[in-house]
Amino acid sequence: MKNRQPLFHVVKRDHAGPGQQVLAYVAAVALALAVGAVLLKVQGVEPLTFYRQMLTMGIPGSRYPWRAVENFIRLFVPLLITSMALALAFKMRFWNIGGEGQFIMGAFWAGFAAMKLGDSLPQPAMVLVMALCGAAGGGLYGVFVAALKVRFGTNETLLTLMLNYVALYFLQFFAETKTDWNFFLDPASARPKFAKFPESAQMMTVPAGPLNLNLSLVAAIAICVILYIYLNYTKRGYEIAVVGDSPNTARYAGMKVGRIVIRTIFLSAALIGLAGAFHVSSAGILSASPTNDVGWTGIVVAWLAKLNTAGIVAASLLITVLQFGCQAASATYPSIDANFANLLQGVILFIVLAADFFTRFRLVRTRKEGAK
Amino acid sequence: MNDPVNVLTLFLFNIVLVNIPLLYGTVGEIVVEKAGSLDLGVEGTMAVGAIFGYLAGCAANSILVGLAVSFLTAGLCGLLFALLTVSLQANQNVTGLTITTFGLGLYFFVGKGIGERWPAMTAADSLVKGYSALEIPGLSKLPVIGKVLFSHNVLVYLGVVIAVLVWWYLGFTKTGLRLRAVGENPAAADSVGVNTLLYKYVHLIAGSGIMGLGGFYMALYMSGSFEGSNCWINGYGWIAIALVIFANWNPVLAILGTLVFGFFNTLQIYAGALAGAFPGPLGWLSAVPPQLYKALPFLITAIVLVASSVRKREGSGQPAALGLNYFREER
Repeated sequence: MKNRQPLFHVVKRDHAGPGQQVLAYVAAVALALAVGAVLLKVQGVEPLTFYRQMLTMGIPGSRYPWRAVENFIRLFVPLLITSMALALAFKMRFWNIGGEGQFIMGAFWAGFAAMKLGDSLPQPAMVLVMALCGAAGGGLYGVFVAALKVRFGTNETLLTLMLNYVALYFLQFFAETKTDWNFFLDPASARPKFAKFPESAQMMTVPAGPLNLNLSLVAAIAICVILYIYLNYTKRGYEIAVVGDSPNTARYAGMKVGRIVIRTIFLSAALIGLAGAFHVSSAGILSASPTNDVGWTGIVVAWLAKLNTAGIVAASLLITVLQFGCQAASATYPSIDANFANLLQGVILFIVLAADFFTRFRLVRTRKEGAK
Repeated sequence: MNDPVNVLTLFLFNIVLVNIPLLYGTVGEIVVEKAGSLDLGVEGTMAVGAIFGYLAGCAANSILVGLAVSFLTAGLCGLLFALLTVSLQANQNVTGLTITTFGLGLYFFVGKGIGERWPAMTAADSLVKGYSALEIPGLSKLPVIGKVLFSHNVLVYLGVVIAVLVWWYLGFTKTGLRLRAVGENPAAADSVGVNTLLYKYVHLIAGSGIMGLGGFYMALYMSGSFEGSNCWINGYGWIAIALVIFANWNPVLAILGTLVFGFFNTLQIYAGALAGAFPGPLGWLSAVPPQLYKALPFLITAIVLVASSVRKREGSGQPAALGLNYFREER
């Protein structure tokens, strides 16, 4: 019988240097833009003009350029915090697909605080209470999945996925039910419509020149720095890395794996809830679908960045530019809509996922064995 | 019109009509998951199959061409998934979600791009004819049941036939049993000479293709009217992922599950009519918030998921290697 062997086999290799990886990503983005350019051309849109408008996000030539920057920040902050939080869970190989649900719960409970406590608190205290309520709401919604996973081995990917929709319809119930007790709605409106938050529940802004700097951006950057230190320079952060690499090693080393998982997932989900709270207090109003898909996009960002903190900042900037830019540019082109950003995002990720293989593995020519 | 029997018949009829796309999505995902892969890209795959199947079906004025193209284009999504996760060892969750993002992006890009030139379904007369109700002789004359089960369009019957065939294939054929071995323990299957790579590729592509057929159904059900804001699939792909769990990875149970989920899905539209037709026993229906009906499929699935993990029962159909990549060199 002939002994057939494949020509190549695959061998793991040490991670390629950062230079090579950055190169792979730049190539991925460039390639995705090229694919996009072909598609745009097919639609009869001049790609270069479209891309110029997309990358400048319609800011130059706008009558209110600073307003565009403020809107950009509003889109950027929730994505940044959510991606950081998801990366925390992914580091432990806990597949938290439930970012959407946790974000909604955070937004809901922050809104609850805003409507209930209303004008009784001064602005900084009110915003802080909302942030805490949002974090608690998101955190509890995530942590009980972690507890089930630890105790019974429940599949967390599927469970968090289901809970996203439970949360969504829970919020929609309050958005669409016009009754006396539903204090979320605007009593003046005959149709069900969320009421605006009281003044004190709006996110603080600091005037920086012509720009009203949203304080949640400062908070988000602080969170990034703290998480970076937490993950790289504390015992608890080290425990996360060990559990992620090998739960058995962690167990032999005497770590309480269950407790570490529950603690970390609470932190992760609470941060996502916090992002939800920041989002609604910046908007000053609840909405029936507040997430802007950050729970999904955050997964993309965390993965693009290889769960690396600095990388997450860069990747969430990139994705926000794509999304916000496509929105702005599509205003000029009726045949291209904001979903074009999703298409580009998909292509970028496909290429990065494929390129990852070549930084993780090597192809080795199979040597002829048994040749006489 | 408000005759109670009529309302009930129409309600039951719609449970079948509106929800069979779920069955396609579910059966497709069962095939994929039995190969050991968790594909979260059902929504995107169905959207791709839907739009290309519809456009091709209209252009060729044929339901068969539409079916074939939706199967093939959705199958390409499966090929992409297989290429990335099987050959290139990429993470399955991330890849699946990306297929959804990409698929929906493509759906809107193509739809918006065609714009004014969008083909109307009414212009393709044999497509319309192919989709029109096919009354099964004899059976369709039965009271209530005849209308509810035996006077549907051909895609309804096809969906049920595919589900039964896949059930037979997975449970009673040699290749089907080998496929399940690949999903349970790829290393063991590999060691007895099963070509795991080939099995995964073929079934990921075929499963995705079946999802695409459901997308095509959805397109025809929506009479092919493209809206810029809402995709035809409208979350069915996600419900299908839930339904796989609810049906315990069994295609025949998936038929039953489709009807259960479909019951809630349709109830949110028919609650008012049913409450009006049966004010005594069903009057309370109109008081239930519609959001509860929407949430119930997901809520029930979450409970099933938790309950089955608590009981660790023997009969769970969840493949043991679900979601794990198989890296041959690490056997």
